[in-house]
Amino acid sequence: MKSSALALLMAYRLALPGYHYEFPRDHFNHPEFQTEWWYYTGNLRAADGHRFGFELTFFRHGVSQDPAATIWDVNDAWLAHLALSDIDGQRFRHAERLNRQAAGLAGADLAEGRVWNGNWSARITANAHELTAIDAAFRIHLTLTPQKPPVIHGANGVSQKAAGEGRASHYISITRLAAAGAITIEGRAYKVEGLAWMDHEFFTHQLAPEQTGWDWFSLQFEDNSELMLFRLRHKDGSSDPFSAGTYIDAEGRARRLTRDDFTLQLGATWTSPETQARYPIEWRIEVPSLGLDAQLGTRLREQELAKYWEGAIELTGRKQGRPIRGSGYLEMTGYAGPVRIGD
Amino acid sequence: MPRLILFHRLILRPLRREPARTLLTVAAVALGVAVVLAIELAGSAAAGSFRSSMETLAGAADYEVTTAGGIPAGVLTRLALLQEPLKLDPRIEDYAVIADRRRTVPFLGVDLLAHRPPEGPSDSASFSRQDSIWTGADLGYRTGDRVRLLINDHANEYTVRGVLGERSGEAIVMDLAPATRILGRAGRLDRILITGPAPLDLLQRAAGPGITVAAYGSRTAENRRMLAAFRWNLRVLSYIALVVGAFLIYNTISVSVVRRRAEIGIVRALGAPRPAILAAFLGEAAALGLAGGLAGILLGRAMAQGAVGLVAATVGSLYVSSTPAPIELTLATSLLGVALGVAVSVISALAPAWEAAQVPPVEAMSRGRRDHQVRVHSLRDLAFAAVLALAAWIASRQPAIDGKPLYGYLAAVTLIAASALAIPALISGLTIAGAAPLGRLFGAEALLAVRSLAGSMRRTAVLVGALSTAIAMMAAVGIMVGSFRQTVLLWMQDRLQADLYLRPASPAGADRHPTLAPEVADRIEALPEIAAVDRFRAYEITYQGMPATLGAGDARIVARYGARPFLSGANPRSIFAAMPGRDNVIVSEPFANKHHVRAGDTIGIALAGRPVRLNILDVYYDYSNERGYIIMDRSTLLKYLPDPAVSNLAVYLKPAASLESGRAAVERAVAGRKVVVLTNRSLREEAIAIFDRTFSITYALEAVAVFVAIMGVAGALLALVIDRRREFGLLRFLGGATAQLRRVILFEAALLGLLANVAGLILGVLLSLLLIYVINKQSFGWTIQFHWPIAVLLGAITLVYAATVIAAIYPARIAAKLNPIEVVHEE
Repeated sequence: MKSSALALLMAYRLALPGYHYEFPRDHFNHPEFQTEWWYYTGNLRAADGHRFGFELTFFRHGVSQDPAATIWDVNDAWLAHLALSDIDGQRFRHAERLNRQAAGLAGADLAEGRVWNGNWSARITANAHELTAIDAAFRIHLTLTPQKPPVIHGANGVSQKAAGEGRASHYISITRLAAAGAITIEGRAYKVEGLAWMDHEFFTHQLAPEQTGWDWFSLQFEDNSELMLFRLRHKDGSSDPFSAGTYIDAEGRARRLTRDDFTLQLGATWTSPETQARYPIEWRIEVPSLGLDAQLGTRLREQELAKYWEGAIELTGRKQGRPIRGSGYLEMTGYAGPVRIGD
Repeated sequence: MPRLILFHRLILRPLRREPARTLLTVAAVALGVAVVLAIELAGSAAAGSFRSSMETLAGAADYEVTTAGGIPAGVLTRLALLQEPLKLDPRIEDYAVIADRRRTVPFLGVDLLAHRPPEGPSDSASFSRQDSIWTGADLGYRTGDRVRLLINDHANEYTVRGVLGERSGEAIVMDLAPATRILGRAGRLDRILITGPAPLDLLQRAAGPGITVAAYGSRTAENRRMLAAFRWNLRVLSYIALVVGAFLIYNTISVSVVRRRAEIGIVRALGAPRPAILAAFLGEAAALGLAGGLAGILLGRAMAQGAVGLVAATVGSLYVSSTPAPIELTLATSLLGVALGVAVSVISALAPAWEAAQVPPVEAMSRGRRDHQVRVHSLRDLAFAAVLALAAWIASRQPAIDGKPLYGYLAAVTLIAASALAIPALISGLTIAGAAPLGRLFGAEALLAVRSLAGSMRRTAVLVGALSTAIAMMAAVGIMVGSFRQTVLLWMQDRLQADLYLRPASPAGADRHPTLAPEVADRIEALPEIAAVDRFRAYEITYQGMPATLGAGDARIVARYGARPFLSGANPRSIFAAMPGRDNVIVSEPFANKHHVRAGDTIGIALAGRPVRLNILDVYYDYSNERGYIIMDRSTLLKYLPDPAVSNLAVYLKPAASLESGRAAVERAVAGRKVVVLTNRSLREEAIAIFDRTFSITYALEAVAVFVAIMGVAGALLALVIDRRREFGLLRFLGGATAQLRRVILFEAALLGLLANVAGLILGVLLSLLLIYVINKQSFGWTIQFHWPIAVLLGAITLVYAATVIAAIYPARIAAKLNPIEVVHEE
């Protein structure tokens, strides 16, 4: 009994309804939750028309809650992914790093106003998110300016992912950021502009065992509205009832969508030569309540990194009877084996 | 073609006729070449192609970051935040002993989170577990094996989580976090390897002023530099056997010339030009050299196998922990061996071959003058010898060149040449004075032996020269090592005043300082039997591009108990009193010599990233470490490096406490930890054992040189017997018994040995002075007090003497077997 009480004392906090959000505090670290991530994605265009997609992601995963005895003890493992989709160059570049907090090797700090992993960082102020990331072959430096306030997904401060207390996350997005800056690929610099999206999620054990992966969409329409959808998948390929989404209108008002509010149809697939995973890279999305019927696809099929596919997509379709275009990002996990967060 | 025929008839046929003698000469050359090659190969493997144990797993880094006392973690962060695409590999570097194999291997703490091992648990939690290790491929462990490791003062079981890939050597790897805990480190790093393009000055600015950022391999280069002088001296030592071999070639060719005088005359009379004669005899030397060189390559390769262990032991105890590279016999080294054999032979043969070419046909053909009377100008040569000796004295006064005692060696060579020139005078003097008394004492055989030696002066001189050179070298090195040993013993008496010494069971090395937990010292200090505990801590540092050791002890305790003699002769108490709390240090003599510093100078070093200026109060005598020490008070050290762990403890008992009770109390206090408790006496014995091990390679080289010389004596006596067949035949004819003939030969050997020993001892003492006061001082910076190692010297000389006489047994038997009728019939 005593040991389980201790385990309870030491346990991570669960994402429960009623969480009180406060910014800028909640843009930064929540070490009391086991897992946390900051996702920046976006579609960019250089002055000469060259198109790029980018992704810069910071993950934190709680490994141990024991008090640290040395500076090198790993309480949290900090993972980061950097990817650059050179749409016109038809080349996907990506890099990955894993670090410990140590003496400031990685972290997310309110006082310093930054989330970082080595020399990859996001400096967050009230007006802008400044992204810098350096790899041997390429680097990005972008200033993202929020066009809308943060959105809290789900109901009552939690985005429920499965049945049961705490099978949920605290999920914040900034769905429209104006992006401007520079991309350098093998010494060649491009001045770029475009649209970016930020996700920030923190939770402890959100998925149920039968949930083997998800398909997640962030769509930015040219009418200044955005749509976030995720489909949680079971081993047999069926959709989980907790699949959900959020629509953000041009004024920044969020509307919650549940499983019954949308349908997804899979189109053509691409098989990764690396992992042999088969990813659907064409989708049809219908959201009757928004009058939306859109076809999604990508111009660069090979956007797989570290056992998941995450890439820039484009969409065409109709919304409220009018033709509409847009762009966004698609993330597909669990196709190369079940997702185990914290690996 | 005619020349080849000449070569065949004049040279090859005689060589074939005396296979024993030919074989001996070739063997002497082969041994000489073999020793040089063996030392070259072993030196390359153990010191030349130097690989520090810590180089394993370093990969292809571009830069390395180091500092004395460890790099603060913040330096890693500053480098990681640089806007450059760098791969950083932070490391904690230490050693562990695999308990059941009694093998010391590198123990590395690396960032297993950032650079995941290829095998093992994939979850982030278990790689940093306290018992998780990854092992180098060469250790032969398999995943799941349990390994007991002795690290510093504790031994624990660890589980092999995976085996590392290629080039992981014998390393044992662990994550930074558990390694920090197990090693009791304060969170600092020993090295950061940097891979990636970045300007050095940018890295240096990011790292900070007290941190050394250098191109990767600089530390290895430093170590190589440090080892260069050692290797150089070893190499010189290895040439002794070859020099001795040169004397023998000279002798062999001289004998050939003398013996074939008649043939030379005939050949010349038939119209052969002088150069043909010269070429034929040089050809003989070259052939002998070639054969010796070729045999020497094979022998050298085999000897290198044995030598590499000895050389590595010396390198390990004096300089740096390293792993000998595999021995590589390259084509270049092989060619060097052959070239050496041929070159030494041809050069040694120049004088006799020249003389052969000068033989006038008529004189050579005239009968009745069988034995060539060499005109030995012993007085003129003695004058030459005096001039050379003077030159040697002048050379010995010159300073080192580039850290190498080149003039010292020049003086040694000049001295050997002087001795060779003085030997004929010595022989004539001694034989003239000794003939009559010897004859009276030992009879006619002794008289005959003396006369014969004096009669064939040149040959005798060469033999005595060769043997005496070998004896001299042996005596010189013997005296030097013996003096050194005695100096160290006396120094230890002064230096080691404590009753007990404690150190972690994990073995220390010149660059390896395992630690004891600080509470061990506290616990011992609290014992009622204990008067004082001196906590000594050593760190590996770099000063001016050379490795050195920074040490700190309790100056107050040292002042109270331990004397530490200073070069200046100053009162140790006042010096130690000025150390606590201040940036005052004392440095060891090798350090002062190597870096040209003196009392009163200021040196700058960096401690844990902080530049510190230290005043040198004085220089003290030290023989424990060739790298050199900087010693400060413990309070000063802790001010800069607040890590309380200690490298060893000197424990002083209260006068009332007995050694047994004190020792028992200390052992109880450290129970459960892997600590070695040594009494004063056992520590000294251990130190001397290490000293002897260090010089084992020197002894081995000596032995080979002496062996070559004795072989030479055997060969020369054999030649002597064959040459004097006529004389012996006549003696037999005149009624000499075979036993008498045997005695004549043995007497000659005994006299040769005696002469060589006298000459060798004189030369040896002179050479030992050069070694002690010039060569050693300039190479290593140690002050050695001259001592006569009488027992060792007497033993060695007796051995050589006995061997010389034994070498004469076979020739004596040959002489006894000569058929007098047949011999005289030849006339």
